[in-house]
Amino acid sequence: MKAFMQRTTWITWVTFLEAIRQRFFAFLIVLGGAMVLSSVAFRFMDFGHGELKFVADFGFGGMFLFGSVLGVVMTAQLFFSEIDNRTALTLLAKPVSRAEFLLGKFFGTWLVLAIFVFVLSGLLGAVLWSRSIELNELAEKMGRLAPEFSPGGLVAFALLQWLRLGVVIAIVLTIASGARTFLYAVVVGALAVVAGQLQWIAQDVLLKPEGSVWYRGVLWVTSRLLPNLEQFNIGDALVLDPTSVPANAVVQVAISGLIYMVAFLMLGTALFRRREI
Amino acid sequence: MRSLYFGILTAVFWVLAGTYSEISWRTVRPCIPEIGRRDIEPTLGQGVLLGILGGMRTVIADGTWVRSYVLWERKDRPGCETLMRTACALDPRSRYFWENTGYVMGYDMAHWEVRRRGGYAKVPADVQEHLYRSYARRALEVLDQGVVNTGGNAALLIAAGQLAEMKLKDQLLSARYYRSATESRNAPWYAPYFCARNLWEAGQREESYRWYRKIWEEKLSKSEDGAPDDLKNLREMEQALHLPIIQRIPRPAWEK
Repeated sequence: MKAFMQRTTWITWVTFLEAIRQRFFAFLIVLGGAMVLSSVAFRFMDFGHGELKFVADFGFGGMFLFGSVLGVVMTAQLFFSEIDNRTALTLLAKPVSRAEFLLGKFFGTWLVLAIFVFVLSGLLGAVLWSRSIELNELAEKMGRLAPEFSPGGLVAFALLQWLRLGVVIAIVLTIASGARTFLYAVVVGALAVVAGQLQWIAQDVLLKPEGSVWYRGVLWVTSRLLPNLEQFNIGDALVLDPTSVPANAVVQVAISGLIYMVAFLMLGTALFRRREI
Repeated sequence: MRSLYFGILTAVFWVLAGTYSEISWRTVRPCIPEIGRRDIEPTLGQGVLLGILGGMRTVIADGTWVRSYVLWERKDRPGCETLMRTACALDPRSRYFWENTGYVMGYDMAHWEVRRRGGYAKVPADVQEHLYRSYARRALEVLDQGVVNTGGNAALLIAAGQLAEMKLKDQLLSARYYRSATESRNAPWYAPYFCARNLWEAGQREESYRWYRKIWEEKLSKSEDGAPDDLKNLREMEQALHLPIIQRIPRPAWEK
């Protein structure tokens, strides 16, 4: 077990170093950061929401969009660069199992995405905090209700986003394990993420007692095959209205994300074991 | 054999993941605003999908609203209505979108339609009236949806009451909206009076007085100034109803 952990950690570290040096990562983190910081300048486009909600939504959007792009493209790129450069062949000729290789790739990429998510969350937190102080002062002067901002909620949301991206990486690695080309893995991976993001529609219909048995059967299977990625998007409530979030919601979503990750990684390992390199 | 065990374990995890996700989704569902899928279908290809997929729902809703303004200036009824409804569907908890969509549909669109058919001089008065009423009814449907989605926002109820009174000329319906507005949080000071006035003018004079008096005694009289304007209105009603002194509201010390 110790040797398994050591080898996985080693591959994780190498993958992490390789990923963090990529220009693509630097480009997207700068773009995401610029988007978060510039959100205050776009306030004039806001209609009838609280200002903090608008700024937070801008930041969450950046994290979701760029994080998903990074998760899909970088994972596939890191996986296929090992295959195409034949380094995987050399690596797997040593006493390294395919599960260790896949897990190393997963954790390496996930670590990079942790940096992405927490840097953007830090920036967003700073913007929201500074604006909430100004708005609180204004509200006090005008005798209005001050807007609420929960830093703890932002941390919880960042953790959930990181977990969501973990599920995305696991999906893409599973697809890449069976795919022949980088392009196929990216396209199918992106479609799987979109489908996962829309999976809640099937779950919502299932919660209501309507539709034929066949229809509900198809929905049941769909909701079992695809992960529900929408459940991670409770940022608005967590950050701006934390009292509206049930106490166990974050823990339940986190557990759900972890189970999905394990399920996808197991499937990915099974596929990768059968793959000829 | 090892592969078989691994396969079984994977399948077990898969079923577990799906089942547990259903439980967690039930827990977080109330935190995520409901989205009107039918309303956004016509605009799915115009960047709206991004809004549905994850964050940015507010931002995309704002962008959609700006675009709807462009169409409003062009008096493009179908385009404007579609985009406004899309903004409402994307951010259903925003009072602003529902209220303004209701106003535009109820007050502007019927006039656009009259102009499109040749203008006020050409379109017969009864057709014009029919148009005003049908658009007002559609606007009320939007406002009703907004009331549900915003948890009974008083401003939306007031807008609906106004529309029912001015365009549908249905004072009982208008009174119903003003009554709901009176019972909601942050009810404006004039809501009880408007409700009572509409009931009064619709012929339900005793009912109007009883309700208005009850509200004044239970709520308005406890405000800082004791709501003297409302009391004055109630005195006028008592006069009109010829109520004996004993049945009238006892005179507070501060009443002139």
